[in-house]
Amino acid sequence: MMSTATQQTQPRRCAVGVTYEGRDARLLERMLPLVEYLEVTPETISEVHGGELRLSPDIMAELKSLGPDVQIVLHGVSLSIGSHDGWSDSYLRLADEFMDQIDVAWHSEHLGYTKVDGQHLGIMLALPKTDEMLDILSERVNAIQARYRLPFLIENIVHVIPDAGGTYSDAAFLNALTQRTGCGLILDTYNLECDAHNHPFDIEAFLAEIDATRVRELHVACGVEHNGFLLDVHSKLTRPSTVQLAQRVIADALGHAQAVVFEFMPEAVDGLGHEAIESELQRLNTAFGG
Amino acid sequence: MDLATHQRSLLGLLRSNLDSSACTDPYIHRVAQSPDLQEAKRNIFLWRIYVLERTAPLTFRLLEQRGQLAARVAHFIATRNISPFRETQAPAFLEASSESADSLERSVARFELALLKVKAGDQGRHIAIWEFEPQVILHSLASAIPLPDPLPLGLYHTVVSRGFAGNLQIVSGHPPVFNG
Repeated sequence: MMSTATQQTQPRRCAVGVTYEGRDARLLERMLPLVEYLEVTPETISEVHGGELRLSPDIMAELKSLGPDVQIVLHGVSLSIGSHDGWSDSYLRLADEFMDQIDVAWHSEHLGYTKVDGQHLGIMLALPKTDEMLDILSERVNAIQARYRLPFLIENIVHVIPDAGGTYSDAAFLNALTQRTGCGLILDTYNLECDAHNHPFDIEAFLAEIDATRVRELHVACGVEHNGFLLDVHSKLTRPSTVQLAQRVIADALGHAQAVVFEFMPEAVDGLGHEAIESELQRLNTAFGG
Repeated sequence: MDLATHQRSLLGLLRSNLDSSACTDPYIHRVAQSPDLQEAKRNIFLWRIYVLERTAPLTFRLLEQRGQLAARVAHFIATRNISPFRETQAPAFLEASSESADSLERSVARFELALLKVKAGDQGRHIAIWEFEPQVILHSLASAIPLPDPLPLGLYHTVVSRGFAGNLQIVSGHPPVFNG
């Protein structure tokens, strides 16, 4: 189980990664020497060709040209693994197309849903933590692991509306899913902070209960506060508290955590600036011993 | 409440088409009355705005300058079942604007949609008819400066195709009509 805030944690090295959505060669050039992983989201490097969604040939060529010093991890946002009426086949087609062309270290998705009866919610919602939901998720996670024969990770998401509850705590639900399926976790420590800020969510209790040895990847990011809500918009540089939380998780993951990925959305690049992003990656390398 | 009803109810709350007073589930009542729901709706709207500002900048700025952006995006969200992610949103938004009753909006959106298609590898020739001088208007929109007032009238058409330098040709008058 996890260490508490007051206990001494054992620092461990963790590689640094960063999100990349293509078409910014100058930014990529500055980031590559500082990262071991590039996290790519297939939906955001896609284009509509003849009414069909396909990966951008230009961006795929860019990714294929990367040397052996950086590994690609594939991170979906629209699988909608928790939809009652099934997941998104269009996402899986993109993932298939990507993995047919480029080797990836692992594949991941969010523990949530973005569609209901084929209708887009426009946002990602968290799932009720029930046995019914756990059965559905376990079957789908097993199917994905069989399909790609790669490590598959599930990420904790922000609760944008009040928690739907259920028979499990958040940590117990993730533990049950990883135990049933053998999948790994992405722990987004900024998402934990958002939940603690916006809802009665206890980070310490969560960290005490989660099986951190299932955490292979961490996400760090930062957004803005609006109307009293801390928003998961990936538009800022990380706060020290977010990095410290990630350090605690890495220490308790006992060597299983392999990457900390700094997430920012391309819409934020102009505001942040290339230099600040480069400095942030340097800072994260220092913090995580990358 | 079963999972399907739970998820359909939340979809209805986000789209403002569910009468929560008719629901028996206390959770749905709690969400309906929460400030979180209002903030989530605002986030859905703002995310669309962020994406369109970046992926359809010419039409975005035209609507913004005319004070029509918020209403157009709200209508787009309410009437089109489009993924919030970047890949499909701009083409769908531009297709909707391409059918606008407003001549200038229609021309700018058709032109910008053509640019997107050609950039994505489309080999066709895409023509947009203009009732205004396009070069001045496109320069203003691309530079994010106010449109000239009054707008310069004139009959033009733009042709977007991979066959032209810069993928673009601006021609005075109607496009030629080919018979047979």
